[in-house]
Amino acid sequence: MDITWYLVLSAFVFAIGAAGVISRRNPLVVLLCLELMLNAGNLALVAFSRMHGGEAGQVFALVVMVIAACEVVIGLGIIVAMYRNRLPIDVDEMSELRG
Amino acid sequence: MTIHLSIVLFLPLACGLVAARLPGRAARSAVLAGPLAVLAYVIVMLVDFETGGGLQWVTNDEWISELGISYKLGVDGLNLFLIALTAIGWVACTFVAAFSVVDRPRQFFFHLALAETAVLGAFMAQDLALFIVFFDLMLVPFYFLIGGWGTGERVRATTKFVIYTLSGSLLMMAAAIALGVLATPDGGEISFALSDLANRPVAAGSQHWIVLLFALAFFVKAPLFPLHGWIPETYRSTSIPVLALLSGVLSKVGVYGFLRIVLPVMPDGAEYWQELFIILAVFSILYGSILAFSQDNVRLVLAYSSIAQLGFVVLGIFAFEEKGAQGALFQMLNHGLVTVPLFLILGVIAARARGSESLSELGGMAFRAPVLAGLFLVIALATLAMPGSSNFVGEILILFGAFENQLVYGLVAAVGVVLAAVYMIRLFQGTMHGRVGPAVESREIDRVNLAAIAPLVAVIVALGVYPHFVVDRTESDTSQAIAKTHAEVSVIK
Amino acid sequence: MSATSYGWLVLAFPVAGMLIISLGWRLLPGRLPGWIGTAAIFLAFLASIGALVDLLDHPEEERQLVDSAWTYAATADFSADLAILVDPLSVFMCLVVSGVSFLIHLYSVAYMGGDRGYARYFAYLNFFVFSMLLLVLAANFLILIIGWAFVGAASYLLISYWYQRETAVRAGIKAFVINVIGDVALVVATFLILDHVSSLDFLTVFEGADRAFGDNDGTLIAACLLLLVGAFAKSAQLPLHTWLPDAMEGPTPVSALIHAATMVTAGVYLIARMHPLFELAPTAADVGAIIGCATLLFAGTVALAVTDLKRVIAYSTISQIGYMVMGASIAAYGAGLFHLMTHAFFKALLFMAAGSVIGAMAGIQDMDRMGGFRRAMPFTFITFTVGALALAGFPLTAGFFSKDEIIAYAINRGDWYVALAMLGYVGAFLTAFYAFRMVFRVFLGEAVPEARELEQGHLAHGEPMNPMTGEPEDTDVGFPGPEHHVAERAWSMKAAMGPLALLSIVGGVVAIPGISDILEKFLEPTFEDSRFHDTAPTTGAEVWGLVAGGVISILGIGLAWWVYVREPGTATRLRERFAWLHRFLVNKWYFDELYEAMFVRPAATIGGFSRRVIETEFVQGTIVGGATGIVRVGTSVARAVQTGYLRLYALFLLLGVAALTLYFLITSS
Repeated sequence: MDITWYLVLSAFVFAIGAAGVISRRNPLVVLLCLELMLNAGNLALVAFSRMHGGEAGQVFALVVMVIAACEVVIGLGIIVAMYRNRLPIDVDEMSELRG
Repeated sequence: MTIHLSIVLFLPLACGLVAARLPGRAARSAVLAGPLAVLAYVIVMLVDFETGGGLQWVTNDEWISELGISYKLGVDGLNLFLIALTAIGWVACTFVAAFSVVDRPRQFFFHLALAETAVLGAFMAQDLALFIVFFDLMLVPFYFLIGGWGTGERVRATTKFVIYTLSGSLLMMAAAIALGVLATPDGGEISFALSDLANRPVAAGSQHWIVLLFALAFFVKAPLFPLHGWIPETYRSTSIPVLALLSGVLSKVGVYGFLRIVLPVMPDGAEYWQELFIILAVFSILYGSILAFSQDNVRLVLAYSSIAQLGFVVLGIFAFEEKGAQGALFQMLNHGLVTVPLFLILGVIAARARGSESLSELGGMAFRAPVLAGLFLVIALATLAMPGSSNFVGEILILFGAFENQLVYGLVAAVGVVLAAVYMIRLFQGTMHGRVGPAVESREIDRVNLAAIAPLVAVIVALGVYPHFVVDRTESDTSQAIAKTHAEVSVIK
Repeated sequence: MSATSYGWLVLAFPVAGMLIISLGWRLLPGRLPGWIGTAAIFLAFLASIGALVDLLDHPEEERQLVDSAWTYAATADFSADLAILVDPLSVFMCLVVSGVSFLIHLYSVAYMGGDRGYARYFAYLNFFVFSMLLLVLAANFLILIIGWAFVGAASYLLISYWYQRETAVRAGIKAFVINVIGDVALVVATFLILDHVSSLDFLTVFEGADRAFGDNDGTLIAACLLLLVGAFAKSAQLPLHTWLPDAMEGPTPVSALIHAATMVTAGVYLIARMHPLFELAPTAADVGAIIGCATLLFAGTVALAVTDLKRVIAYSTISQIGYMVMGASIAAYGAGLFHLMTHAFFKALLFMAAGSVIGAMAGIQDMDRMGGFRRAMPFTFITFTVGALALAGFPLTAGFFSKDEIIAYAINRGDWYVALAMLGYVGAFLTAFYAFRMVFRVFLGEAVPEARELEQGHLAHGEPMNPMTGEPEDTDVGFPGPEHHVAERAWSMKAAMGPLALLSIVGGVVAIPGISDILEKFLEPTFEDSRFHDTAPTTGAEVWGLVAGGVISILGIGLAWWVYVREPGTATRLRERFAWLHRFLVNKWYFDELYEAMFVRPAATIGGFSRRVIETEFVQGTIVGGATGIVRVGTSVARAVQTGYLRLYALFLLLGVAALTLYFLITSS
């Protein structure tokens, strides 16, 4: 089957996710968009795996899912810490690591 | 007794590491053991040295063979006496530091010991990359010593010192790597060993910029006008024993590099820049001397006088004459030998003037301190190169070397001799003679400083009586170093 | 023992004396350092006699002996040993130096008594004598320069001996710097000679000189002129003379030894020693003669006007050395050295007597405050007068024979040298006048309070103060001691002045024209290679010269007697009539002011300018500022990117990835 449509869908979702990461200020939404990007990547991986007939892509996609889960845990942990320390939940306000 | 140079090289570091772990009293003895052992080795080396025998006690091991870097150490006429100077200087200054009250003594002594190893390594290295490693390593302990144990504006001083030296050193490193690469013959192996580099000619055009970059680094170290901007603040902020070593020993590594590396390996490049460097040297002599007799702060008098004295050394080297190069090498030793006790004496003087270092507040200290005044007098007369001192022999050799082909420059430099008399006598009189100054509470020199200074004075006097001891041993290697450069007869003769 | 062994002993004794005194001064009580120092010089004198005796044992052709101790420094064509040359000239100088030094040490034992730095004084004095002897015994240029510089250092140490006095300290640095100028000139001259002759050794150079240099060779003239610069710096000739009057800040015996009898004669010795070179470069020799002549006139005029007793004698020294320099430059070597010897005798004597007077005046040196000491100090009066007679060249004194011999030689050379001779006679007239100006003002006339007190039997006591500025002092280390000494009360001072007085009278016997020429014959081995060896004036000419000299001397003394004794007040009237001239002379022809404006102030200005402008603006501002500025600008650019905003970083990331992907897509297609 022609995988072009899957790749196009993947690209769209990736773009939506990227736009969201750049433009949204709420860290929860940034994490959501980050998930979108990761899943878009997964989709592309699986599609290519299907096209080439190997299993490498699918395995890689599984690994990415695990890593995405870990990363979300840490991200949510940071957000909870921000809330607990009464810091504003705004990505722009967290600019302490500036030069 | 076999001498393994690696032992001499790393002994101070080892003792420093030990001292860093031991408590108070024991640390003091441990840290003194290193320099004293090195001095003992050096004395054996001086006795055992074979005049005209080339590199001796060579240690030659592969280090990073893929890059052609070898761990090669050796001692010949060029560095024998500089190593001796390092040993003597470190013994004196470590001794004084060990018996004075120092903040966080263990780290201080460790850095002092590391510095000795680095300087010894720079002098002993016979491989270009190894030399650069030690040259840059020297910076680390001095950064801490100046920044952590200095006074006044020490952070600014250290920053300037580091930026200046590093800029030069990094440029030199780039040049050195280029040299190693360019010198590799087609199909041959790259090598940084100086003996190999000397036999592998590099294109004249490349030599020009390589020499320039080396010169930048060395002129910052020396220092020479106009790269001396780091001097005033650093000299004002550093503690006395460290300053004595900085001014007396460290400054020589740069000019030694010219004789060891630049002239034998890149003679065409050196000839290209000869005139400019001679002009800079002569200008440094005059500029340094004039500033030296215009200063009120005694440390700055010595700082600018160092610029003038090293100007003579550079003049001697770039005259491309046997006598000049001999004189330059001798002067490196002499200048170090007088500078170390001079700074120690300045420390003694400041201690007797409630910390004041200003000539307008000092004076008349000879009144209750005849021994101090006597020692200071001998050293001051040696510093201004009064005939009868070894400094004079060094200077007359430099001047004669310069007169051979650069008569006019030599004559201008000779004016510097008169100016040296002015600033040294002014310094001596300003502190020791005249009415007792407002801040002064004179008392005789203390035993610790006396124990450090008196042997140095004895060496100075001994060399004044028999300078041939040094001249004899350095002759063949110095002539070899400048052999490839042809003395250009200056446009103005 | 051979002559050269004696030569080494001559050097060794003063060194031993200096070391014993300087290292053991805490253990030597009272006047012992003085006696040790004196003994050391006496032994050196005996060794000089030993060298003389042994030298005379050698046949005349073999009287130039060199001995070398060890190699001092040798590389390429520069080779110098620690070597001494024992020949008639050096033995002559050793005898004069050690002999007169011994007497001055003896004098100092009493004169410096009570000074808190007594041991230091004698250590310095011994060091000085060692340096001077090293200078005259040197066998090559390097050792000569070393001795030359040591003498300068010793002079500095002794001038600023009373180091708490600002005036003494300033005088010291002035003397030292001018001396270093001379040193540098010698170094350059040595190079020029080494370049052509390839040796530093005197005998080798002198033998090879006429082959290496043509007649009146430009380089040789330059070298000889530089040697002259060195000689003039040391011997206080124009224009490098300004340090000598200031050097009177040192103790009076120091003035006697260094600034009259020995150190200042080093320049004359140099010209005499280098005579083969000077004879090959007559232009340089002529310059020397002219400057010697100019100096003797200049100094003579200033000595007419200044009122500080020691400074009059100092200017008289400058003037007499002018005679010696002139003599050596016109190849009258024997005459010049003869005058050197007699001058050492009577000048040292004059200074010693002056010291005695100053002691009686409790440290005051101004002649305006002195008078009528004739009755209070008879011994001092007699010795001072004897010295003044010798200085003035009164018939049959030693000075009579020596000074006029130089002038006779000048006349004999003919040409324009006769003009020099005539000016020499003018100088002699001035000399006689100012010599007795001193005698009459100090010893004759109304007795001042100090003199009257002394006649009663007790020595005047004043508050310790600087005689030049009147600034109050104390008597601790670094200042003169509380005691004052006069010859009448100190046997060692009398023991020193007596022999000198005797020598000032009879010293002329070594060279009476037509009767004896002991000195000339003795010095022959050194000077027989001179071109002018056989051009000595005839006995007749010399006798006429002596007669002329004697007449002028008596006229000068007579005029002084008339101005100061017969018609007192003449001097004051003359001073008012010619006030501008008087001021010009008293200010020493404004040389000090000239040098201040030409050298000292510009140097200070340049120094200040460099410190304020070049260092701060150029070096710190541009170069340091430049380097750190570049670093700062570079880092600030890098810092600008690190805003800390997450979204910005994410944007950069995405843009970067997109760019890369596009790039690879485009290039791979």
